[in-house]
Amino acid sequence: MDILGQERREVFGGRSNSQVGLLVFALVSLILLLSSLYAAEASVFKKARETALEAASPVLAFVSGPIGWVRDRVGDVGDYFRVLDQNKALREENAALRQWEDEARSLRSIIAALEELDVYEAPPSAKPINAFVIGEANDAYAHSMIVNAGSKDGVAPGLAAIDERGMIGRIVDVSSNASRILLLNDIQSRIPVFVEGSFVEGLLVGRSTTNPSIAITMLANGDRIEPGQRVITSGAGGVLPRGLSVGVVSKVTDKEATVELTADYARTRLVRIINYEFPQVEEAATEATGEIAPPPAAPATQPARTVRKPAAAPQASAPAPVATAPVTAAVNAPAVSAPAQAPLATGAPASGAPAADATAADIFPAAASPSVAVDEGD
Amino acid sequence: MSARAENLARVARAAMPTLLGVIGALMLASPLRLFQGSLPTPLVPLVVVYFWSLYSPGHLPAASIFAIGLIQDLLSGGPLGLWPAIYLAVQYIALSQQSYFLGREVHVVWMGFAVAAMIVSVILWLFMSLFSGALLPIGGLVLQMMTTIAVYPVFAIVFGSLHRRVVIEV
Repeated sequence: MDILGQERREVFGGRSNSQVGLLVFALVSLILLLSSLYAAEASVFKKARETALEAASPVLAFVSGPIGWVRDRVGDVGDYFRVLDQNKALREENAALRQWEDEARSLRSIIAALEELDVYEAPPSAKPINAFVIGEANDAYAHSMIVNAGSKDGVAPGLAAIDERGMIGRIVDVSSNASRILLLNDIQSRIPVFVEGSFVEGLLVGRSTTNPSIAITMLANGDRIEPGQRVITSGAGGVLPRGLSVGVVSKVTDKEATVELTADYARTRLVRIINYEFPQVEEAATEATGEIAPPPAAPATQPARTVRKPAAAPQASAPAPVATAPVTAAVNAPAVSAPAQAPLATGAPASGAPAADATAADIFPAAASPSVAVDEGD
Repeated sequence: MSARAENLARVARAAMPTLLGVIGALMLASPLRLFQGSLPTPLVPLVVVYFWSLYSPGHLPAASIFAIGLIQDLLSGGPLGLWPAIYLAVQYIALSQQSYFLGREVHVVWMGFAVAAMIVSVILWLFMSLFSGALLPIGGLVLQMMTTIAVYPVFAIVFGSLHRRVVIEV
């Protein structure tokens, strides 16, 4: 090893050649870099990324199987050593959830009664798409994941992606069988959010920190943001549904509030992409019940789920009905979600088939529950 | 062995450093999440580029390095041309110091790798900070480079024996 290359020293006649090639390719990559920065969304680069995604997805899918298996085994060992802590945390969480269950049951009956009044309007249809994480960017400054669902499964750029804890990001590149999720902590990520409790709308800006925490650029009355308040997607702009759990405010300074994400990117294996259609204003004018705007909130479909009702209100008038997101979760959590939860638990990668009609809150009640979120924030 | 098969074997051997770099880039795109995600995936292509640029640049021409970096860029979704530029900078550093490093002790070469990794880290950080318009945190980058530097000797031993046994067909 020490002498590797020594006896071949004279053989490196091609040195000047490689210097020229180096110069040429360095120049090419610099030009490419500048042009891709100035036209990041240019169709050529987008096409190239999507083609690479498509080409690499079988390889990544093939490799990620064994990797996941090994990680699960190793993860089990880690869990074994933390079993006491985890037990304690789970017990606390169980107690909190039981309270929510009680509240949910009573709310469900109220909602059923309200629905009887026939003022309920079903939200627009949405079909969640389930996918496995088959790749992720491991560069220090690129935070994205590759999942094995693409345009064939109905994935489109801009859709929100969640895991069992909360929102993880949104789709940026789509090929026919794979797509890329830009995570919330990427420096290019901008998500309209709403801070519960302080009624502040803001833009969640990725800062590329290792421990995913994100700053909100505030629009007004920022002093009212306090640590511990839940952050959810606001639905502003109409691309993302309202009410997806994003995180908890962990630190507030004059200029920004740092948000601790509910998502844990090191554990995300299965994601759900929410195919959300922004409701049409015309429909609302003819069918809505008057002052209530079209229900933009819950990503789910089934009119039978009464939950949509509370979720419907928030966007119409900002402050009042904000607390409905956790309610959405709680209502569904105990009973309704049981069948829908099954495929996720068993890890079925099927694209949306069995649980097609479930909301984020349906499947992931814990993610939307404020008490749990606050615990994690601490 | 027929002449054709021999040719094929020679091409495969010659392309091996490039292939290792591509595998390294794929490793960076796979969800390895070492130690529950607490340890970043080492930048194996960086090791490949440094190693072969130093010991046998003829086996890893600039075109190969460009391709490896481009694959990494395409898979990570970042700006195209970033990692080719980084890896080519590493090759430049390695080539310019080649006469010093060749024949030296392993740990001297290792130190050289650490210095090269630090230099390109600074370049990467400066560039990404300019690109995003804010001073980015360096924690993740430092951790990843430290991991890469830490695993360098292991890869260097493996690559060294591969190089002697396979690539240059002793």
